Amino acid sequence: MQIGRIIAAALGGAALFAGAAQAHHSFAVFFSSDHEVVTLTGPVKEFHFTNPHGIIEIIVPGKGKADQDWKAETNSPSIMVRRGWSKDVIKPGEVVTLQGWQARDGTNYIRLRNASRADGTPIGTAPAAQ
Amino acid sequence: MKRLVLILALVAAPALALAAAPMKDGHPDLSGFWDLDMKVARDPALMKRIGPNTAVLDDTGPTEFPRNEYGGLKLKPAARNAADKWDPKDDLSVAKVCSPPSIVYAMQGPFPIRIDQGKDIVVIRLQYYDMIRIVFMDGRSHLPPAAPHTKVGDSIGHWEGDTLVVDTDHLEPATITNNGLSHSENVHVIERFRLSPDGRTLLSTQEFEDPQVLDNRGARFIAWKKQDGQFIEPYDCDPSFALNYGK
Repeated sequence: MQIGRIIAAALGGAALFAGAAQAHHSFAVFFSSDHEVVTLTGPVKEFHFTNPHGIIEIIVPGKGKADQDWKAETNSPSIMVRRGWSKDVIKPGEVVTLQGWQARDGTNYIRLRNASRADGTPIGTAPAAQ
Repeated sequence: MKRLVLILALVAAPALALAAAPMKDGHPDLSGFWDLDMKVARDPALMKRIGPNTAVLDDTGPTEFPRNEYGGLKLKPAARNAADKWDPKDDLSVAKVCSPPSIVYAMQGPFPIRIDQGKDIVVIRLQYYDMIRIVFMDGRSHLPPAAPHTKVGDSIGHWEGDTLVVDTDHLEPATITNNGLSHSENVHVIERFRLSPDGRTLLSTQEFEDPQVLDNRGARFIAWKKQDGQFIEPYDCDPSFALNYGK
């Protein structure tokens, strides 16, 4: 299991959050705004690329413990298509690494910041959330 | 003589600059594909038109206010009470997740717009939720009070010099700041649109007043950059997304 936690530049109590382009529901309300970024690696279980947000579901190997299902919510696909994304850009079974901000409620759910393939190649032409 | 030359230069400069912007039917042509750009400085000419007792919100684009922060808007007690009780997960149900906001929130979202400008109507198409606005420029009045309210409302427009002024009412209640504060069906919105001298930046302000909800007025500065060869993508909202939030 690889769930690395990287503390990125912290806003510290700043009143506004502008790290991720939201679509219809408030990023600041649903996701941790202290910029704690979660890194997940595992095979893709499902990929849905529909608005208001795409969903990448992956299985993070437990390495001796139970595997964990995680979901990553993308920016609006209507924005992502201009960044090299499509409904076929990720295939089920493919191993990917996802980084993003975890849901405030502590569930296995992140807002995607960026994604890469097993060889480190970025998916898409620009960071997913900016 | 030098002073005369300087005065002539100052007078001529704006006209020369405006000449670079496209024109149509005697007005600046706002037509084109425009992508939101938060780096554009507020346009002084538009900002000085904003009325008194107005809070200018700093939440254009992906920037958002957290709970209980409204950027200087003064909420009526009932509006504050409703915002305090707001449960964001209620918006993430299959029934609601694909319900669009009104233009009050949608226009500042991080999504492109496309404008097609005619003499009697201006069409503003938003990628966000596939919204389509029609601004009537033929001198008509607003719809009668009993007419239905919608998320795009009833928009009538006119030109004031190089600025398109759009007046919108008949809006259906919807969020203002995406954090529990909603406007009523009586909100009134004034938008002003003008081009930068080179015609590549669309500058605008959005002012709104809703005495049923707010003790003051609100405004935003919104700007877009022109992008050639781009098209509005379909939004086609899929309500099954809400199942990821358990509803």
